[in-house]
Formats: sequence, structure tokens, C-alpha cells
Amino acid sequence: MGNKQTIFTAQQLDSYQDCTYFTRKEILRLFDRYRDLAPQLVPLDYTCQPDVKLPYELIGSMPELKDNPFRQRIAEVFSDDGEGNMTLDDFLDMFSVMSEMAPRDLKAYYAFKIYDFNNDDFLCKSDLEKTLNKLTRNELTEDEVRMVCEKVIDESDLDNDGRLSLEDFQTMIVRAPDFLSTFHIRI
Amino acid sequence: MTSYSNGGLFNPAYHDSETLEIDRRSSSKTPLHTNPYARGEGADGHYSTGQISSDDALRRVPRGGWQEESWRGRESLPMGHISTRPRSPSWQHDINHSTFQIPPDSQYDRSLSIRLPSTTSGNMTMRRRGISMRRMSMFPNGDPNHVAFTEDAIRNEMENEEQNLVKELVALSTRDRIWAIRDLPMSFDEKKHIRSQVLAFKSAKKSRQFTCFADCSENMSLSFRRCGYGIRSARQTLELWQGIMKEIGGTFGTSVLSYFMFLKWLLMFNIFSFLVNFGFITIPQLVYSPWPNISPNVSFRGLEILTGAGYFNNTVMYYGGYSNETKLHLVEYNMQLAYFFTIAVYMVLCGIALIFSMASSFKTNYVLADPASNMQLKESMSENAQRERLSLSESLKHFGVYLSAWLLSTSLAVGSGASIYYLCQFEQQRATDSANWSLLQEAETLLVPFVVSLMNLVVPLFYSLFNKFEHYSSQRKQIYALVVRNVLLKMSILAVLCYNWMNVVAVKFSCWESMVGQALYRLVIVDFLFLMLGSFFGEFLSNVIGTRLLPRLGVPEFDVARNVLELIYAQTLAWIGIYFSPLLPAIQILKFFILFYLKKVSLTQNCQPPRRSGRAAQMQTIFIALLFFPFFVGAVSMVAFTAWSLTPSEHCGPFRGLNSTYNVVEVWMVHLKETSSSHWVVWIYQNVIRSEIFYFLISLIIIVIIYIFWQVTRGRKLRIRVLRQQIVDEGKDKSFLLERLQNLQKSHPDKRSKQKNPKKHSKRRPDDHSSGGQSTSNAMVQAALIQAMQARQRAEGQERNEHYSAGYYESPTNTSSAVTQAMQARQRAQVEGTDNASDPTSSVSSVMMQVMQARQRAEKEDRPQWVPAPPQNPAPAGSSALIQAMLARQQAQNEYDDGY
Repeated sequence: MGNKQTIFTAQQLDSYQDCTYFTRKEILRLFDRYRDLAPQLVPLDYTCQPDVKLPYELIGSMPELKDNPFRQRIAEVFSDDGEGNMTLDDFLDMFSVMSEMAPRDLKAYYAFKIYDFNNDDFLCKSDLEKTLNKLTRNELTEDEVRMVCEKVIDESDLDNDGRLSLEDFQTMIVRAPDFLSTFHIRI
Repeated sequence: MTSYSNGGLFNPAYHDSETLEIDRRSSSKTPLHTNPYARGEGADGHYSTGQISSDDALRRVPRGGWQEESWRGRESLPMGHISTRPRSPSWQHDINHSTFQIPPDSQYDRSLSIRLPSTTSGNMTMRRRGISMRRMSMFPNGDPNHVAFTEDAIRNEMENEEQNLVKELVALSTRDRIWAIRDLPMSFDEKKHIRSQVLAFKSAKKSRQFTCFADCSENMSLSFRRCGYGIRSARQTLELWQGIMKEIGGTFGTSVLSYFMFLKWLLMFNIFSFLVNFGFITIPQLVYSPWPNISPNVSFRGLEILTGAGYFNNTVMYYGGYSNETKLHLVEYNMQLAYFFTIAVYMVLCGIALIFSMASSFKTNYVLADPASNMQLKESMSENAQRERLSLSESLKHFGVYLSAWLLSTSLAVGSGASIYYLCQFEQQRATDSANWSLLQEAETLLVPFVVSLMNLVVPLFYSLFNKFEHYSSQRKQIYALVVRNVLLKMSILAVLCYNWMNVVAVKFSCWESMVGQALYRLVIVDFLFLMLGSFFGEFLSNVIGTRLLPRLGVPEFDVARNVLELIYAQTLAWIGIYFSPLLPAIQILKFFILFYLKKVSLTQNCQPPRRSGRAAQMQTIFIALLFFPFFVGAVSMVAFTAWSLTPSEHCGPFRGLNSTYNVVEVWMVHLKETSSSHWVVWIYQNVIRSEIFYFLISLIIIVIIYIFWQVTRGRKLRIRVLRQQIVDEGKDKSFLLERLQNLQKSHPDKRSKQKNPKKHSKRRPDDHSSGGQSTSNAMVQAALIQAMQARQRAEGQERNEHYSAGYYESPTNTSSAVTQAMQARQRAQVEGTDNASDPTSSVSSVMMQVMQARQRAEKEDRPQWVPAPPQNPAPAGSSALIQAMLARQQAQNEYDDGY
């Protein structure tokens, strides 16, 4: 533990603890995980805030993410540059939102962003179709996909604009008991 | 996240970075699309041509450097503002040629709609959401007519927003503030920025007072917080198996994790039960007589660990090892009462805990989940799959398979019950009621538990075999069928055993409670051995077969249902045994503890993650329900029957000499009545516990309360339906009003060419103001406000335009009247907006009413007789706001057109 103290300053650790749902120990553990992805890139000293970014290929190869059909989207949404390349801050941010401590609304907000493939702030049909195809690993036929999407929009689109806004999505999430346990990466 | 893949297969098909790229490009390139309200072919077609012309126009418009720059910087460049035209007369000219113009004020209305939620609602979440929505939306659609001025305005706006947020955060307590910052949907850097601002603000405020004191308190609070974080992290470390749980959940998913959570939960139950029993029953007994009175010819032979008989027979392990005396060591301690109340209270607590966890999990996982719609979807999905193959003969065949499978499995369950019964009778004939058995006799007692566990291991395998032949339409039904059959089997076995204990053993043996305790001990131990064997056969062998011999079968998946049922069975044994063997929970703790690691190793070595994620949450509810309903209730009724009706053995145990265990309470009451001063206890016992009227009244009251709640629930359901309908209606109204607006603009055929852009403009609007992320309830008010603002701005812009495009204006009075009308309209709309903010519920409905009126009126005046000026219109203020806004806008448009 003695040498780990020098990775971050106390102020840095405070701000990490204030802004994420993690404790000091978890932050250090996440840092280790982050560093394990590319030990030659990530320095052991973060007190001077080095500008290090790990490419998406490394992030996506983590065992927690590699089976996830949405891993690319997740990385894109949480990365600062929108392309999945992550700094340590992005990395902590991602796992903070995915932790069990994060509230449902915050999770729903990010889930919405993840499913919003074209970044237009609405889940339109094409977004839903993409989501569904990823979820079912292209097992459904086109007709079935269309039917499910129509059904979803039909049911959740409260303001009748043919697509789901964040509010629609959040009301939908309240009725999905599995959401909290599935929108969750244990690390 | 929502699904887990098999064996970590990496499928490049999901890796669709290319499509994403394309999407993003197209979305940024075609900014003006998606008008959800323009339904129908005509509108769509029109829209697409407009789209093309807009792109054309963009290409044709000769842009200056500033336009290029703003185009590039549109992501970060916030909303446009009013006066862009004065600076670019040449561009204006061009636009008119290319019949395209991007309405500058459309930017304005977006900023408005976004700001509205945060200003109207004081509460924290709304504001947060307001900010976040803006951050999220940040103008994917760029307009070339941004200038530095608008940039500044928007930056100011954002800074204001941030300042407000910071102020709100400063007002909170430290703890709340940290949580609020954590909950902000922003990236980490933004959060850090906000946090540093808050801290700076706070310290600035403090330093104005006492610098030294402020420093000190700052340090104190910091160290307190660090201490708190330390405690939190220490608590996490202390939490049992936390790291392992995360590892399992991370690699195998929620459904497998639910098994381990369940195991841990049961372990906690047992630890509690052990502490209670040990603390209140065993310790007093040990204090009184530390050494059990074991007859000298009984020695420890080793087999006792398996059988629990012999040496253990007279220890505190079993009922027989406890005395019936009132201890007078240091304080008076009545062993009988302690034994009775400890078991009773533990059972009641267990029941309450089970009911609560069952109810809460039922609430979240079933009631909220809205199963009806899911069922519909599933039915329609499976309809496609089944349509081709379900002829009459086929369905008859299916029915036959179901029937025979159910018959077979039920008869298997009944058969195993019957065979256990005969086996028990056989054993009772051979067993003798003596203190010391020979080694062989002792080993013979293991026969029944062995057969029971063997049945529990083998028969479920047959059930899974049946399951393969049945073709259930869904996986859920299949699992339910499997679970029901297994429960039937276990219930029948346990029922036979209990019957045997209460009717045969209780009569034959002198210290029969200890005998039952021993039997339960053996069952628990042998069950544990078979659980280990089961995970060896079930997982290790099938892994070997799947990988070496028959690769077709593949690596097995972890069978959550079977394993959970095994746990439930094990726990039921412990519950039944708690009366007969108070220290059985200790064995159970050991068993579960070892089982956890065993299963974890078996899982990671032999299994692969489940291919389908399944409904883990609902399955868990079912498991808790199962644990409660047949098993816990069965165990409690067994123990209760023993306590109320059976005569305790005469020569051993705490209740020797009594007619039934419950008599303890009566004896105690008599004792209290004679000696002590606490007559109220006696009074309560006689008038409350033992009186029928009390129970009658209680049940009556409960029934009445249930009825009231039922009615309230029905009322709420009705209300929810009405509210939902209202939301739908409002959505319809919104689209209706927007449609009317479009129609109005179309209704001037001679000016069609010039009105192309306003049409486009109106099409964008729904997009704009719904991106504010505001709920539909005050969307109408916003729409009115926005339209009024637009009208005003258009009029103003018009005015200015006429000044700039010199020589074209003919009727300045008209213009000014349009401006005043629009101003009035806007003021009214704003009045409504503030009303809405002050009293949300009533004003929403009033706005609703007004919108309805407006709609009716619009239907009446179907012909475009919109020329009369709105101020003369004697309509009530509220209902006219919208229409006035529209009219003002329309009129301004007309004048704009006339201006040329």
C-alpha cells in the first residue's frame, strides 16, 4: 500500500471519491486494471496528470466488456473523444456509472445514450433495430425485428412522435426490473 | 450489460464501427430531418425535396470565413441568436435566389425550450436534466449563420446555468452535495470542474468570515470525510465474498450470480439462527453443566460425524441434552421458557423476513414489469414460429407428451415417497431403543438418508430428460415445469419423513426428539456429500464429456434452477431440525460455506456463461416464494404441530413431564400469577392471547383495511388510465396544432415559392422543442411561448430587413402593428407559462382545456378566415394565446412577403 499512495495526490483521490461512486481502494484497484491493459503506456505516477489515452481495442478486450455486444458504444459514449479511446478519468467514469451504487436515473440516461446510435437524442426506429439486432445477435428475422420495434415504440412513446425521448425511455426503464442488475459491470 | 455471450466468442459482426461512422456522418450532414408530425406521403415528399434544396443552398451560398468557421465549430458552438442578417446583406440576397433560408430564430426557440425546464422548475433533478439535455444535444445540426456574438450569448447562458447549479450545490449539506455531484449526468471532468467551483465558492464565502476558523473547519470536515471513506471501504472489505461475487457476476452474468446471492442470503439466515440459539439456549446450558452426562461405555468412534448418533446423543447438539430446570446460577434462567421462546421468535422472525423480501421483490419484478404487454409480444413472436407446424395431430401429440411426462414425473415423486415410507418402516423394525449401538447398527441408520439423497440426485436427472422430449413454446415454461416437478418430489419425500417421525418415532423411542434430531443431522450431512457429488457429476463429468468425448454437447451451463432447489431443500431440513437439534444451524453454516467455494470452483472450471440471459430477477422472486410457501410454511407447521400436539418425551429434554411443549407458557402464567407483581402479563395472556374475541376483532379490522386498500388501488388504477389517456391526447393536440400551422402556411398558393422556408422552419420546431427534454405536460405552453417569440422576432427581423434592403418597404404601420400583436401574444403566453410554473397540476389541466378549446375553434373556422387582428378578438385570454401567436406569426409572414 505504501507505494500506491504516490500514484495520486490526496486531493486527486478526494476528487475521485467525490465524483464517482468508488472508495479509495476501488479507485486504486481500477487504476491497476487500467494500467494492466497497457503497462508500458500508463505511468505509475498520476500526480502530474499525464495525458494518457488507451485505444478502444485495449478497453474492449477487458474480460468484463469483451462479451458485451454494446462494448463499442459504451466506450464511445464514455470517452471524451467519442471514439472509444479512454483516459483514466473516462475509465473511472464508465465504471462508476456501471457500478451498483449508481442510481437508476443516471444509468437510464447513459443507457439511452448508448442505444442512441445516431446521436440525435432520440431512440428512433433505426436505433431500436440496431439495439435489438445486437441483443439477439442477429437471430431474429427482419419482420420480427420490425414488429418488436413497433411494439416498443407503440408502448413507450407517450407523446406520439414515433420515437422515444429520454423521458419515454426512463418511464420504460422503471417497468424493467432487470435493468438495474443488467446495466451493471462488476469489476 | 444486458446479455452475455457464450464462451467469450468474439463476433466481428457486432463490431460495426463502420456503420456507426456512416450514421454519424449522415446525422450531422442532414440536420433538418425527422419531422414526426408531418405524417403522410405528401409531407414526406415535400420534406425530402426541401432537404435537397437546403443542401444545395448550402453549397451555393458563397460563404465568408466566419461562416466556414462556425460550420466547423458547430458542435461546440451554441445557439444562434437574432441579428445575423445585418451583417450579411449579400448572403441574404443569395438566399432569396436559392429559395432557401435557414431561419435564424429557430435557434432562439431551441434555447428557450431548453432553458424553460430549468427556470420553471426549481427542483434539482429537473435542472440537472435541463443541463444534461443541452449538453447531450449540443446541436448536431449546424447552421452556417452563427456569429461570434451568438457564441458569446450562449456561453453566457451556459455559465449562468452553471452558476445556478453551483449555487444550488453550495446550499446543500456536504453529504448531499457529494451525492448530487455524483448523480450529475456529466463526464468526470465536468463534474470535477463543478466540484472545484463549489469548493472555491464555499471557501471564498468562509474566508470572508474567520480565516483561521474557516481553515480549521475545512480541515476538520475534510478529515471527517476521509475517515468516512475509510470506514466505507473497510465495510466493503468486511462484506463476505465481495470480490468473488463481482468476479462471478462479471464473467457469468446476473442469473448465475443470483444463485450465489441466494446462497449467501441463506448463510446469513443460518448465522443469525445460530447466534440466537447458541446465545439463548446453549450458553446457559453450558454454564450450568459444562460436561454432558455421557454414559461411560459410549466412546467416540469417528462414525458419529456422519451419523450424529452415539457420542453426540446426549450433548447439547440435540434436544435431549438440555435440562428442564430453572437455573439459579447468577440470575434466574428458566430453560424451558428460553427454549420455547427462542425457537418461536426465530421462526416468526424468519417468516417476517421472508415475507418482506418476497413482497418487495414481487413488487419490483412483477407488478411494475407490466407482464401483459410482454406476453402479447411473446405470443405474436411465437405465432410466427409455430404457425407452420401446428396441425391437429401435431398438437394432439404434444398434448400426449405433456400428459405422459406429467404423469410419469408425478408417479416418480409418489413412488419415491412410498419407497421412503417402506424403508423407514423397515429401519424402525431393526432399530432398538438403546443407548449404545454397535458400529453396524449405527451405520445402518445411514441407509435412509443415503436413499433420500440419491433420489434427490437421480430423479431430477430423469425430469430434465423428460424436459428434452417436451417442446415448450418458451424457455420460461420449461423451467417452471422443471421446478414444479422437483418441488413435488422434494415435498413428497419430506412429507413422508415427517409423518414417520411424528407417528412412528415419537411413539417408539423414549427420547424421540433426539432421534429425530439425529435423523435430520444425518440428512443434512449426507445431503452435503451428495451436493458435492452432484457438482462433480453434474458439472465436472459433463464438462469432460462435452470437451473430450462428445464435443457436440459442448461445455455445460450452470443450472441455476436445480442448484437453487437443492439449496432450498437443504434449508428446509435445517428449519425442521431447529426444534430437535438447536445447533443444526452451525452444521448448516459450515455446509453452505464450503458449498460456496465448491460451487465457485466448479463453476469457473467447468461451466460456461449461459447463452441466454433469461429473467434473472423474476426467477429470484420465484425462488424466494418457493422457499417461503411450501418449504418454510411446511417446516413451521411441522414444528408447530410438534409443539402443540405431541407429548414431549418423559425422561429427557427441557419439556419432560409436560403434556405438550406449549404447556410451558401456561405453567409460566400460573407461576407469574402466584408470585410476581406483573399482573398485566397474566392479564394480557388471559384476555388477549387466549381470547377468541381478540382474534375475531383483529381479523375483522385487517379485512376492513385490506378492503379499503383494495378500493384505493382500484381508484389509482383508474386515475393512471385517465392520466395516460391525457398524455396521449396532448400529444395528438400538439401534432394537430402543428399540422394546422403547416396548412395555414400552405394556404397561400401564390406565395408558395417564398414560403418554402417557413414551412421548413415549422417542421423543425417539434424537433426543437421536444429536444428540451421536457415532459409533454407543459410542452403546449412552451410551444405557444416559442411560437409567439418566433413571431415577434420574425416581425423584428422583418422590420430590420426592410431597413436594410432599402426602398422595398411600403407599409411600416403594418409592420409595427404586427410587432405589437406578436408582443401581446407573447406576453399572454408568458403569463400562462408562469402560471404553469406556480401551480403545475391545475394549470396543466387548464392549459389542456384551452388547447381543446383552441382545437375546437380551429375546427369550426376551418376556412382560412384568419385575417382579423387578434387583439380585437374577444376570446378568453388563455385559449387565444396559441392562436394569437399563430396568427401573429402568419400575419408577420404575410407582411414579410408583401414587403417585396
